[in-house]
Amino acid sequence: MNADLTAEILRNALRVAAEEASIVVVRSAYSTFIVEGADAAAAILDADGRLVAHSLSTAIVQCASLRSALPYVIDAYPLAGMRPGDVFCSNDVYQGGVHANDLLVFRPVFAGGSPAYFTGTLIHVADLSGLSAGGMASDATDVFLEGLQLPPVRIATAAGWDEGLVRVLAANSRTPERLLGDLRALVAGVNVAARRVETLAAEQDLAAGIDGYLAHTEARMREELARLPTGTYEGEYAVEDGDERHRVRVAVTVRGEGVLVDFAGTDPQVAKPVNSGFSQTLGGVMYALRCFVDPALPMNEGCFAPVEVRMPEGSLVNCTKPYPGGGRWATVAAAEEAVFAALTRALPGRGAAASGILQAFSISGATRPWLHMAFELGGMGARYGRDGPDATGALFGGGRNIIPQVEPIEARLPVRIEEVAPIPDSGGRGRWRGGLGTRTVIRVLEDALVDTRGDRLLDPPAGAEGGGHGRAGGYFRERLDGVREPLPPKATRSPLRAGEAFVVETSGGGGYGDPAERDPDAVARDLRDGRVTR
Amino acid sequence: MTALATDIGGTFTDVVLVADGRLHVAKTLTTPDDPTEGLLRGVRRVLADAGVAPASVDRFTHATTLATNVILERRGAAVAFVTTRGFRSMLALGRQARVEEERYDLAYSPGEPPVPPTRTFEVPERLAADGTVLTPLDEDAALRVAERVADLGVAAVAICLLHSHANDAHERRLAAILADRLPAGTPVVTSSEVWPELGEYERATTTLMSAYVGPVMGVYLRRLRDRLAEVGITAPVHVMESAGGVLPAGLAASRAVYTIESGPAAGVVAAAREGARHGLADLISFDMGGTTAKAGLVRDGRPGVTHEFQVGGKGSFGGRRPGTGVPIKVPAIDLAEVGSGGGSIAWVEAGGLRVGPRSAGAAPGPACYGRGGTLPTVTDADLVLGYLDPDGFGDLRLRPDLAEDALARHVAKPLGVDVVEAAAAVHDIAGAQMGTAVHVVTVRRGVDPRGFTLVALGGAAPTHAAGLAERFGIRRVLVPARCGVGSAAGLLHADLAIERSRSFLAPAAAADPAALETVLADLEAACRADLALGDARRGRVTRAAGLRFAGQAHAFTVELRPGPVTREVVDAAVQEFYARYRASYGIDLHDPAELTVARVRVSLPAGAPDLRGTEPPRPVPARTRRAWFGGAFREVPVRERAACVPGERFAGPCVITEPQASLVVPPGWNGVLDDHGAVSLERAEDP
Repeated sequence: MNADLTAEILRNALRVAAEEASIVVVRSAYSTFIVEGADAAAAILDADGRLVAHSLSTAIVQCASLRSALPYVIDAYPLAGMRPGDVFCSNDVYQGGVHANDLLVFRPVFAGGSPAYFTGTLIHVADLSGLSAGGMASDATDVFLEGLQLPPVRIATAAGWDEGLVRVLAANSRTPERLLGDLRALVAGVNVAARRVETLAAEQDLAAGIDGYLAHTEARMREELARLPTGTYEGEYAVEDGDERHRVRVAVTVRGEGVLVDFAGTDPQVAKPVNSGFSQTLGGVMYALRCFVDPALPMNEGCFAPVEVRMPEGSLVNCTKPYPGGGRWATVAAAEEAVFAALTRALPGRGAAASGILQAFSISGATRPWLHMAFELGGMGARYGRDGPDATGALFGGGRNIIPQVEPIEARLPVRIEEVAPIPDSGGRGRWRGGLGTRTVIRVLEDALVDTRGDRLLDPPAGAEGGGHGRAGGYFRERLDGVREPLPPKATRSPLRAGEAFVVETSGGGGYGDPAERDPDAVARDLRDGRVTR
Repeated sequence: MTALATDIGGTFTDVVLVADGRLHVAKTLTTPDDPTEGLLRGVRRVLADAGVAPASVDRFTHATTLATNVILERRGAAVAFVTTRGFRSMLALGRQARVEEERYDLAYSPGEPPVPPTRTFEVPERLAADGTVLTPLDEDAALRVAERVADLGVAAVAICLLHSHANDAHERRLAAILADRLPAGTPVVTSSEVWPELGEYERATTTLMSAYVGPVMGVYLRRLRDRLAEVGITAPVHVMESAGGVLPAGLAASRAVYTIESGPAAGVVAAAREGARHGLADLISFDMGGTTAKAGLVRDGRPGVTHEFQVGGKGSFGGRRPGTGVPIKVPAIDLAEVGSGGGSIAWVEAGGLRVGPRSAGAAPGPACYGRGGTLPTVTDADLVLGYLDPDGFGDLRLRPDLAEDALARHVAKPLGVDVVEAAAAVHDIAGAQMGTAVHVVTVRRGVDPRGFTLVALGGAAPTHAAGLAERFGIRRVLVPARCGVGSAAGLLHADLAIERSRSFLAPAAAADPAALETVLADLEAACRADLALGDARRGRVTRAAGLRFAGQAHAFTVELRPGPVTREVVDAAVQEFYARYRASYGIDLHDPAELTVARVRVSLPAGAPDLRGTEPPRPVPARTRRAWFGGAFREVPVRERAACVPGERFAGPCVITEPQASLVVPPGWNGVLDDHGAVSLERAEDP
């Protein structure tokens, strides 16, 4: 039987193993932030650090995280010293991690007496110290203020947990029980995947099967990239920081077979949580590039191999110690938008106007510990031939399934959600209209503190080819007298009194093309459906 | 007792009649424009075969994909949706997940919302999470909404207000105001009646779909009843529901969402029944027809039931990725379905071989049917490999030459392999895909499939069952008599049943057993009323509760011990939850648990007709055929099942044929035919 068919059959088995690990982690975790699979990942890797299979139902932007961090684990704990049953843990943004709250866990899988594969899981845990509960402090000027730093450490062996380390972790969490629950979930995930990989290795020549699989994916990825016109294309996008703007600049060079993505010229890192660690930037780049190749390609090393990504050290997209990385989302989104802009130049007609992005926030109790972390989604940019969808997950490939429902939130927390609605007229005008942003009104029943983490609120998502920009969203405090006061896009521990409301408005997407050329039927439909009022 | 069971599938309509202890079977082509047409054709045929008068039919059970198709094809009734102020766009915004390929689609479109914005309304009112009224229903505003809904001329209304699962007063009042303004008989469906559980989005979609499908189902069932009456059948019509019971036709119309997995559920029920006859309680049903393959799990004799179901779901893990379809919160037999059936088309893309999900269906059918199909299917591959008998396939003669041509052109040449290699690859890939379905219901749930028996149902299943079993280390395969119409046979034995639930949020340690008892008793009374069971001693009652760790989001449904709820009953349920959690996630945790929901199912066992043994064997000369086993063609014995004597044994490799099915027994497997015509295969100890 030919190698493609073998790869096809093995692919399913490996993918299922990674998927199963992610489901175990997501379903058994306590952190409500990840119950819908948003900020999580599971993967199978080999001892050379190659990504073999990745979970699909989790956030795509995490696709490079486990792959980026594993080499640092192996550096700290050479393979020869690993024993069956060992479990390693890390959250170091400078060593492939993301930020303090994203815990990465690895477990070696032994074959022939030595570690041959690794299974890995990642989730955003409930709390791990730092200035703000939940890990979204926007005034963290260095990494130490973001939360407990965890370089690669061995957290368990076949004999059980490293009790000392577990006590340290628990002591550094505002919600120690939940943290330990999340840790158990992470380990359960790597264990499940490890059992599957052990079975596969016992049944067949797994190493050869994986080599063939990755080589086939790589060949396919090269083939797909070769369809892009060769040349160098540039793009850039700004990240908001009060009155300042930090620019992410990219040059995408399409070569014979492969792509160079170079962030040379990107602004330097800043002493605020807007930088991104290299693994998150890489995840964003992979997501952006994969929007231009066969979407059915499996997520493994074969996709990474033909792509060279240069991220200057000490820049916004690759921060160095002690610069904080927790607010990376805006920078990653800017990197993605810059790659889209560059490739739009390569492929006119396939690009899009800019999109409103995911706007995160957290509300925590001022007098007792409770935490609501969530996000709302902005409107997508319009593109040639198509209006932008309303309030969906542009730039990370998710959907609104990650947004928790009103009833479970109110059953658990002292808040009342009064409105979740699209904002009429918020989509950028154009021959094709941008997607609408949303307004969410959350009244707190107790005194609370609010963290916000938004971008594209001061400079709303731009239109393309003559289209208008989307309506800028924002965060607001609605006082007891009903007056709405704006909160900073990156506010931290902003107080809300019992009875006041927190309002999140997401930005609408940019429009595409001259509004005068819009189909009158589409205008009439928008009026009828309430998407526009005039 | 004379019982008729009918199952309308995508390709074939199966009809089974039991009269005087004998089974009569007909398989007709499904007639999509008016499914009663094909059905009636089959019914007339079996009645004539059996020489039975239509009026003597006592029971008519029916499985239909109507509800699913109405939703997938968006041809339900025009519905208006009314909700709490501030949430008018709940359904349009949705909770859609983007999965796999579509996540990289910059031109992604979420599709049309399930109800257009012009038919969504909101009213001022608000309850707290515990059901306390915060803002009374604004009746003037409700009246204005009612007038606007009346002006739209919709066929039904769905109402879902926030927290109505905890207090249905506002929904009931609003429904009354609306009904008052609408033409008499217009269904006004409230979420607190349809599915009173926490989670407004799923409750709203379930309610909406009830309103959307119900009127269409009602019309269909009335037509079915009339058509049956025309041929003289006056027996009550019972419709299969997704959880494996049957509903009276009247209830099936008002609770149409309960029938969405009607057909597939029948297959699992049939598997459970067949297993029970062999004293086997742990089974995997494997139902493979022309378009899809479905796997379901039976443990301790009972099919697994899920309360999270996505119609039109997407994703490669059984098509049920949460958030990818329209979520419907009704109980359904837990099934995984993949687009691999006998008619699935094999194709080569970028050097890789794919099988399905496109199917050649009944028209034009596989290439070997010789009815104009030119694309290679799984059936064509199976024929080339010698697994199917060119002459022994019902009325149809299969054409190996056409199968070979199709495989050569579309698979072998592009891949640079010979036709047999291509056929073996198609067979293997189809097998791997079916394996995914089995994997989802077993391994993915932490269930080790090795101790289970695989039950093969549907025309294409026997050809693939033993190979599939080997993949999972399963040592026993059961192939019921007439397995080609296995789902319809399952209908004969389905119990009359209904399930109801209500949210019940409380920490398990502090929960008041008396309060839970009250809720369960109310639910039981409602179920009895649904089934018109006056006598409290009739019917079997199953009580269950949702349980999860306090602070987590995902709950397990745990059955409660029979009898009144006491502290001990709650504690036992918590222990059972801990065990299930450990089995599923490998985490031995005993943290505080909380109750989430109370459920009751009431069923009335079917007076199932007994079947006599098989027809006497019909002697047929022994034959052999070349078939592909272990990477080479071998000359293997071919037997007709009808020619076998009960107790007869056969050893693989061999092929057992019967009309519309072909049982492949690979090397290392031994089979025996039982008194009822079922074949039991066992894998010999490892060679």
